[in-house]
Amino acid sequence: MVKLEMQNVTLAYGPKVVVRDLNFQMRPGEMVGLVGPNGCGKSTIIKALSRVIPPHSGRILLNGKNISQISRKDLARMLGVVPQMSLLPSVFTAFEIVLMGRNPHLGLFQYEGPRDMAITWQAMERASTQHLAHRRINELSGGEIQGIVIARVLAQETEAILLDEPTANLDIGRQIEILDLIKSLCRENNMTVVAALHDLNLASQYCDQLMLINNGRIHAEGTPAMVINPENIEEVYGGGSYVHTHPLSGLPAVLPHAGNSKHAKPQDVIEGDAV
Amino acid sequence: MIMPSQQAKLSHASQVVPAALYPRRRGRVYAIFGLLLLFGVTVAFAVTVGSAQIPLSTTISILLSKLPLVDITPNWTSSFETIILEIRLPRVILVGLVGAALAIAGATYQGLFRNPLADPYLIGVAQGAALGAVIGFLFPVTWFGIGFGTVPLLAFAGALLSIAIVYNLARVGGTLPVTTLILAGVALGALLAAIVSYLIITSGEQIHGIMFWIMGSFALSQWSEVAFVLPYMVVGVTILLIYARSLNVMQLNEEQAQQLGVNVEKTKLILLGAATLITAAAVSFVGIIGFVGILIPHAVRLIWGPDYRFLLPLSILVGAIFLTLADIVARTVLAPSEIPIGVITAFCGAPFFLYLLRRRAKALF
Repeated sequence: MVKLEMQNVTLAYGPKVVVRDLNFQMRPGEMVGLVGPNGCGKSTIIKALSRVIPPHSGRILLNGKNISQISRKDLARMLGVVPQMSLLPSVFTAFEIVLMGRNPHLGLFQYEGPRDMAITWQAMERASTQHLAHRRINELSGGEIQGIVIARVLAQETEAILLDEPTANLDIGRQIEILDLIKSLCRENNMTVVAALHDLNLASQYCDQLMLINNGRIHAEGTPAMVINPENIEEVYGGGSYVHTHPLSGLPAVLPHAGNSKHAKPQDVIEGDAV
Repeated sequence: MIMPSQQAKLSHASQVVPAALYPRRRGRVYAIFGLLLLFGVTVAFAVTVGSAQIPLSTTISILLSKLPLVDITPNWTSSFETIILEIRLPRVILVGLVGAALAIAGATYQGLFRNPLADPYLIGVAQGAALGAVIGFLFPVTWFGIGFGTVPLLAFAGALLSIAIVYNLARVGGTLPVTTLILAGVALGALLAAIVSYLIITSGEQIHGIMFWIMGSFALSQWSEVAFVLPYMVVGVTILLIYARSLNVMQLNEEQAQQLGVNVEKTKLILLGAATLITAAAVSFVGIIGFVGILIPHAVRLIWGPDYRFLLPLSILVGAIFLTLADIVARTVLAPSEIPIGVITAFCGAPFFLYLLRRRAKALF
């Protein structure tokens, strides 16, 4: 089990501070969503949590140990990342890419053995990408590549997964499929999951905890019901959206509201809301 | 979406990885052995070809008689043995080493920079070596006890110095971004090439020797040169092979490679150093031989796939064979005079490469 924690973390690119004073605990079995407007620093937080950029100040702890003290290889055995819009080298086959997830588990001269092959194959099955295994990356669509990258993180066999916009550019069916998979992994294997999501509705549906980031700070945190309320949404995103209750799950849902007019009737879109 | 219960059943049924998905490891291992054999044949052939008529059977006997545990009664003259072992063999071996060096260095640079055009020219290594060599030609000093002049040493120093300059120019903070590295390499390379051109123009009677070196020449190769190049090759190649899997993962991009457990900055530095050492050692004796560093890795990649753990050793062998064959052509076509080998590599290499490009254009890199 992996416990991730940020203590007074400030992240910056050179002198330009992106987010400051982040304090947050990510617990096993819980799916944490990072939400906020474009450019608020969601991706930067994911990069800092995976030790791609060092924090400007503060500490990021993994099971109580500062991640800057953990070797990249050890870190990669505990924490896997699905980056935003993965650009993959086109000549490798999908299977070869997923097999790279085994890299942190291999020694210097070691080649992938039958066990690594089997783990890779299973990971592809869980991510519904087995049928793509023999295809080259340049033959795959964006959605298929996203599936391959998710399979790779599964093959990495980590107990924590960070995802940066895992559903960007996917159709709604594929979005649900991928988030269902991640959610079930999180629940069944007691994994620590952090996902940067720009889609508030998906964040509300899938995440146990949300961190709403705005103007370089945590604007609000807590359950989706606590975070996604009309005040927060108005303050962070401005007018133009309407917070609603999902008729089936009872969780908050956000609908676009044409113009800022209060006369439009978004209620009409979703049946049964009048209840 | 697959339900959990279904998943359990499915995973049972599909435990077995289809054999076709295994990276074609066995085929590549066979290829390595096949190419080793082919290299042996090429060497025997290359040693046989020359102005003195020595039959192939005699050549092979002479070569085999020098192997341990082989006992052949000499039925050849001692001058034949001198020609084979002291004149032709060192040249052929040096050619093979240089071909191997340029090919594996090219493959490494391409992987390191994720750029299909990368080769020693792109980061200024070759230009640095050329400048060092030209200075060596203009101010000849023979270093007694080493067995060769200042040219290779200065070329070697020039190559290392230029990569050190490029590296320090390109560093941003603690990292070495690929784009700034290439830009710094191209800019420094242009500057050095200009200095070389100026020196050549003003070199007077030295011009012929310099031009021959620049275009690549193996005339007058000796065992001492083989002994100079070999240690750098062995060390460099060993390092590259150790880091071949990291190089695979680095094909993703630096961020993903880090997230998959590769210490990217350290690995980049090690690979860059090893590839440059190999290049410098090779270039220092024979000048700049174009096309091998670009052509061979791409050809190997097209035939055997992009896995660097096989791409690197296969490039070594194909590079050695290719350059040995090119050298045979270089010294026989206009015999007794020689064509610079760089002319041959470009002449044979370019059309073959274009043919491969047309055939497998879809996935080149």
